[in-house]
Amino acid sequence: MSGSPEGDGSASPTLTVPRGTLLRSRVVSDVGTTLSRALDRGLTGYATLVPQETLLLSGKARGVLTFEDGVPVLAYNTVTDSGGPDALAELAVPGPYRVELYAVDRSGLAAAHEEESLRVAPDAAATELADDADLAERTRDAAPGERLRDGDDEDDAVAAFLADDDRIDAIREQARAEARDRAAEWGLDDALDGSAEPDGDDADAAAGDGAVSGGAVDR
Amino acid sequence: MVEAFAVASGKGGTGKTTSTLALGMALAADHDVTVVDADTGMANLLFHAGLDDAAVTLHDLLVEGTATDVNEATYERFGLSVVPCGTSLAGFEAAEPERLRDVVAELARDTDVLLLDSPAALGSKSAVLPVVLADRVVVVVEPTIPALSDGLKVQEYARSYGTETAGVLFNKVRGGADDVAAQAERHFGGPVLANVPESDAVRAARRAGEPLIAHAPESEAAARYRRAADRLDVRDGDGDAVADRFRSAVVPDTP
Repeated sequence: MSGSPEGDGSASPTLTVPRGTLLRSRVVSDVGTTLSRALDRGLTGYATLVPQETLLLSGKARGVLTFEDGVPVLAYNTVTDSGGPDALAELAVPGPYRVELYAVDRSGLAAAHEEESLRVAPDAAATELADDADLAERTRDAAPGERLRDGDDEDDAVAAFLADDDRIDAIREQARAEARDRAAEWGLDDALDGSAEPDGDDADAAAGDGAVSGGAVDR
Repeated sequence: MVEAFAVASGKGGTGKTTSTLALGMALAADHDVTVVDADTGMANLLFHAGLDDAAVTLHDLLVEGTATDVNEATYERFGLSVVPCGTSLAGFEAAEPERLRDVVAELARDTDVLLLDSPAALGSKSAVLPVVLADRVVVVVEPTIPALSDGLKVQEYARSYGTETAGVLFNKVRGGADDVAAQAERHFGGPVLANVPESDAVRAARRAGEPLIAHAPESEAAARYRRAADRLDVRDGDGDAVADRFRSAVVPDTP
């Protein structure tokens, strides 16, 4: 398979790997299951990861994560043509993923795996996609010594995430809407701070008499 | 009463309880500090503070009809007043979360700084009450995308209830993370209080049932927590007004 053939011609390399043999195809609620399976069977191949969360992404992520002997090597987003930590950051969303796992001959991945700009730290997918510290440690333990230096840049995905203001805004907006909905559900809507939400349609209704909340004093 | 802080994260495993006790001990150098385990469903502060066998806990205070006095569930440990929470399912099920408001109001009369160790979730009324009741929130995050996403979510929940961010504490930091901290500051309503390194001292303190600053006062992690406490900029408030606010906070009966 190949990264986006209709890329914008920018300098970032695309990822080209053989299609390989499909091992599994399913929707998983926790992508750690897939990573753990790949690690345990020492998979050489790749996974395609399509986050099912559409609100935060607007369909902007379809990931490929390659493995050598069970340890993740490259990450690539075929929608945006981002690679490495940037791709991981784009793929790191809560919720289920549609995952396909493929086995590929080692020789079929050799050329792709030389592309250092697409590399990710061995444990980065476990940390950023699966939020699983134990799996991250197991993956580091399984990684060959020369791969551990790829971990020098392990904050890169986090930095890419924090630089994506649109994404952060979307998370915050979603959280605000959820907080308002749940406040109503729990009977806490009178405690909502009416001034906090300029974009809330019904925010003014929350600032009723007697509504006192953690922000009512000293600000 | 000066100020009540919710120490919150939105996800488990970020070291919230370790952070609550460490900030509490550091703040206790200048203030009377009370630490409350407000995580009534997954309490663990008692294990960190050597109170595993506490006879009376917050759970007892949250049950209607018990005449338990707040003082009976308050233990003086490590220079702090500590209100632990029990770990039994029965205790959790019998507890009425909205009674936390009265407990907090009662405690607020008699202390300078109140730290509420908050649940690692936002999915229930009892889980959000600490951020509803607090003046400000300290968000504890690891430098990972899932933790930061959840930290941002906690911040927005808190803001919805008028609770602003006092600061962000980066915990379990490996490597520098200075760049990440600087970038994160743009998105949070308060400063990065400290980058606390991942540390064997933290694990050893937990095993010993002691707060980090009591167990390993000379450790780098302890020094970072002290710095975080210095940056927290505790505000002077009118004690009576704060207590009244807790008492009158609108928290209706339905769970």
